[in-house]
Amino acid sequence: MDRRTFLKLGGAGAALLGTRATVLAEEAQQQGLSPADLRWSKAPCRFCGTGCGVEVGVRDGRVMAVRGDEKSPVNRGLLCVKGYHLPALLYGGDRLTHPQVRGADGVLKRISWDEAIGLIADRFRAVLKEHGPEAVGMYGSGQWAVFDGYAALKWFKGGLRSNNLEGNARVCMASAVTGFLSQFQSDEPMGCYEDFEKGDDFVLWGNNMAEMHPVLFSRILEHKRTDPDVRIVDIGTRRTPTTDYADLYVEIRPGTDLALANGILHLLLAENRFDLAFLSENAVYKRGIENLEEIGYGCYGAQAERYTFEDKLRDASLDEMRAFLADYTPAQVSAISGVPEAQIRALATLYGDRNRGTVSLWCMGVNQHVRGTWMNNLITDLHLVTGKISRPGANPLSLTGQPSACGTVREVGTLCNRLPADMVVTNPEHRAKAEKIWGLPAGTIPAEPGYHTLDLFRALERGDVKALWIQTTNPWVSLPNLHRYPRKPGDGRFVVVSDIYPTPTTDVADVILPAAAWVEREGCFGNTERRTQHWDKAVEPPGEAREDAWQTIQVAKRMGMGHLFPWPEDDWHRPMFEEYRQFTLGNGHDLASYDQLRATRGLQWPVVDGKETRYRYAAGFDPYVKKERGVEFYKAHGYGDRAAVILRPYQPPAEVPDEEYPMWLCTGRVLEHWHTGSMTRRIRQLHQAVPEAYVEVNRADAVALGLNPGDRVRVVSRRGKVELPIQVDGRGRPPRGSVFIPFFDESRLANLLTLDAMDSISKEPDYKKCAVRLERV
Amino acid sequence: MRGAPRAGLIWSAAEYRRTPDLALVVLLLFLVCACDRAEPPPGPSPAVARAERRLYDGAPPVIPHARIGPPCISCHNQHGMEVAGLGYAPPSPHEVTAGLSAISRCEQCHVFRTTSAVFDDNGFVGLRQDLRRGGRLYDGAPPVMPHPAFMHENCRACHTGPAARAEVVCDHPERVRCPQCHVQQTTAGAFERR
Repeated sequence: MDRRTFLKLGGAGAALLGTRATVLAEEAQQQGLSPADLRWSKAPCRFCGTGCGVEVGVRDGRVMAVRGDEKSPVNRGLLCVKGYHLPALLYGGDRLTHPQVRGADGVLKRISWDEAIGLIADRFRAVLKEHGPEAVGMYGSGQWAVFDGYAALKWFKGGLRSNNLEGNARVCMASAVTGFLSQFQSDEPMGCYEDFEKGDDFVLWGNNMAEMHPVLFSRILEHKRTDPDVRIVDIGTRRTPTTDYADLYVEIRPGTDLALANGILHLLLAENRFDLAFLSENAVYKRGIENLEEIGYGCYGAQAERYTFEDKLRDASLDEMRAFLADYTPAQVSAISGVPEAQIRALATLYGDRNRGTVSLWCMGVNQHVRGTWMNNLITDLHLVTGKISRPGANPLSLTGQPSACGTVREVGTLCNRLPADMVVTNPEHRAKAEKIWGLPAGTIPAEPGYHTLDLFRALERGDVKALWIQTTNPWVSLPNLHRYPRKPGDGRFVVVSDIYPTPTTDVADVILPAAAWVEREGCFGNTERRTQHWDKAVEPPGEAREDAWQTIQVAKRMGMGHLFPWPEDDWHRPMFEEYRQFTLGNGHDLASYDQLRATRGLQWPVVDGKETRYRYAAGFDPYVKKERGVEFYKAHGYGDRAAVILRPYQPPAEVPDEEYPMWLCTGRVLEHWHTGSMTRRIRQLHQAVPEAYVEVNRADAVALGLNPGDRVRVVSRRGKVELPIQVDGRGRPPRGSVFIPFFDESRLANLLTLDAMDSISKEPDYKKCAVRLERV
Repeated sequence: MRGAPRAGLIWSAAEYRRTPDLALVVLLLFLVCACDRAEPPPGPSPAVARAERRLYDGAPPVIPHARIGPPCISCHNQHGMEVAGLGYAPPSPHEVTAGLSAISRCEQCHVFRTTSAVFDDNGFVGLRQDLRRGGRLYDGAPPVMPHPAFMHENCRACHTGPAARAEVVCDHPERVRCPQCHVQQTTAGAFERR
C-alpha cells in the first residue's frame, strides 16, 4: 500500500469516527485542564538521595501533577517512575490526620494536639527526672527536612541534654560517613554529578544503580551514547538491571570486595602504577585495629547488647603498605573472591590508566557491610594511590539512599556522637561552639556519645530507654533481626511515632502523631552531591497533620525549653535556617543563604560569596584551596592537611552458609518502592507493578528443589522464617547458592531473617549477608 | 505501513487479541466501513483507556500488555509496528536514538501491571488530558502546541498512525517537520518593551 492510500484510509477512519470523537473531546474538555491552569512551584523529589528537581502543579489546594524540572541541574527534566507518581503519595485513603493515643485496652482514640503535646511533655519530663537523659531517645530520618533534624538536635542536645538522638541514615549511610571522616576528617564526597559526563570509566561496587539511582544512571548512559569509549563495570553478588548495561560484570562472593580491592591495590603497586608524586605531596598512611577477636561483629556475646568498639589509627608507611599488600596476589584474591585473575588484572589496568578518568560509585552494598568503613576506605585508597581524586571525572562518589540523609542527618548531625558541620560531641571546642551559637551555658551538651541506632532499640527492649520518639521512619519493618523487638504497647515504655500513614511501627506506638508530608510544608533537603534544595509549602496538610519540626518545638516549649526556639510561630523557618547556617560558615561547609536557596535550584556547599563548589579540595574549584594547582585536603588538620591512605585487610562476614543453612541471603530494594513501601504501596500504579515481596532464586537451585517460578517457598534463617513466591530469571538473577528478597513488604518481612551484625566503626548493620535455607511449602 | 487500513478502528491491544485472523479482520472492517454501520467495539473509550493507564496527564503510562521477550523499542520503534497476536504497537513519543541514551531503560518510568488489587484507596485526582486545541491567531493559522514537547519529540507517535486518537489525528503527516509551524509556548506573558 502506498502512502497516499494510507492517508486516504486514515482520513476515512477519522471521518467515520467524527461524531464520537466530538463527543469525547467535549467530555474531556469538561474535565481537562491545561498545565497552564495549574500553579507550578519547584521542589526536590520526596524519594531517593539523587535529589531530582520536580515542578509541582497545584489547583484548588490539591497537587494534580508533577513534571521533571528542566531547570534542575540534577535531572534536567527526567524523572523515574517513583518521581512521576509522587503526587499520589499525599492522598492515600488512610492518611493519619489526627493525634491518637492508645488506651489501656490497646484501642487508639483521637485526642487534641494540646492533649498530645501535654502527654508527651509529661512523659519525657518524668523519665528524665527519674532515670536521667540516658533513658530518653529520638529516632529520626534521612527523610527529615533540615528543619526537622535541626529542631530535634537542638531540643535533644541543647535542651534535654541527651545524646540519644539518631537518624535512620545510621542503617543506610553511616559507613560512608566514617569512611570520609577517617580519610579526610570531613564528611561527604569531593565529586559531583558532573562526574557522570566527565568520567571515562564507571566502576559500580555492589550497586544496582539502574534501579536505585535511575536518573543518575541515565546520565551515564547518555554519556555513553555520545562517547562509546565510556565503560561501565558492575561488581556485584548478583546480576541486576544494571548488569545489562555493563561492559564488564565482575561477580564476587559476598563480602569479598575487601579482598578484591586489596588485590587491585597489590597489582597497582606491583606494576608501578601508584602516583608517587601525588602521594608524597597529599597523603599519609594509616592502619587501624585488625584483631578480629577484639573487633567482633556486634551481634554475638556481650556485643549483642551493647557494641562500643572504637578503631584507633596509627601511622603506617608506603613500605608497610607494600608488605601488607604482598598477600593479596591475583591467585589469592581469586581464591577468596571467585573473581577470575584476568578480571582482577583488568580492574587494575582500568584504575591505573592515567589517561582515563575513573569514577567509583557505591551505595548499600558497601555501606551495609560488617566492614563497611574498611570498604569505603579501600575504594578511596584506589583513587588516592592513582591520584584520581578531586578532579572532574575522577572521584570516589558514594551515592545516598534518602533525600536528606546528607542534608539532615549527616550535615545537621542528628547522630549520637555528632553536632552540625562535621563536629562531634566528644570534642570540647565543638561543644563550646554549639553552646555559643545556641546561647547556652558552657557544659550544657553532654560529652559522652549516646546509643547508636541498634543499641538504642536494644536498650528500649531491655528497658534502659523508657521514652522514644520516632519520626518519619518505619523501624519495625527496616531494622535487622526484627525478632529482637517484639514490642507490645503497655510494657512500661513510651513510644511516640510521627508519620503520614499507619505502619507496623505505628501499630506498636503509644501515641501516633499525624505528619505533614513533602509539599504540605516548607523544607530543605540535601542530596548526594552536597546540593541543598529548598521548597515552599504548596498545599495544606490534611486534617490536623503538622510538620515534624513543629511537633518537636511544641513539646520542647511545653517542657519549658521555649528559649531554644525563640522565633515567631508564623515565621520560624528562615531564622532557624540562618542560625543553623552559622555552624557552617568559614569552615569549608558553608551553606547558601535561605534567600539564595529559595531563588535557585539548589547549591552545592561550600557556597562562598554566593558561588557553589562542584569539586571539593580542588584548586580552581574550591575557594578554600590556596594552591594554584592540584588538591589540598584542608579539612584534615590531624593529618597535616593530607588525606589518609588506610590499610584495611579482608575479614569474612559474620555468618556464612553451612550445611544447615547453605545459601546466602541478600536483601534490598526495587525501583518501584520507596524503602518500607509505606508511601509507594498506596500509589496504585506502583503497587500493581510490584505488589508483594518475592525471593529471587537461581534457576539451577529452583530445579534442584523441584520448584517452578511462582511457587511459594519458606526461607528460613537462624532467626526466623518467611514464606514467599519464588522468582526465577526476573530482574535480579542471583548465582547458585544465593537468594535475594526486597524488604518493602510489611507482610513478608525480609528483616525477620537478617542478622543484626554491624560495621565495627560506623555501627551500620549488614543487611546483605546472612545464611538461609529454602524449604518447600 | 502494514496495519494502516485499520486506522482508528483497533481500540486496544486487548480488543485486538480477541481477533483471530488478520486478513479476516481487515476484510470485515472494510465491509463495515462500506456499509457505514461502524459501531465502536465494547470496552472503555480511548479517552477512558488512556486516562486509566496513567496517574495524571503527563505521567508515564503503565504498560497495558503482559511482559514479552524482546526489548521494548523493537516494537515501539520510531514508526510503530504490527505485532502478531497483540495488535499495533504505537511508536515511542520520545526521541529514539541508535544505541544507548538517557531514556534507554524504559522500565525506569513504565511499569507492568501484575495485579489489579490495590494496597489501599487513594484519593488523588490528577490533571486530565486537555483536548482543547492549541490557540491560533486566526482560523486557518497553525495552532500552537497545547502541551509541552519535552520527552514528546516524536509528534507522529500520537498524532498519526493506527494508534492516533481521532481527536488529535493529524491530517498532514507528510509535512514531517512539525515545529516549523507549530511552536511551543514557554511563557504565558506578552512582550513588553522595558
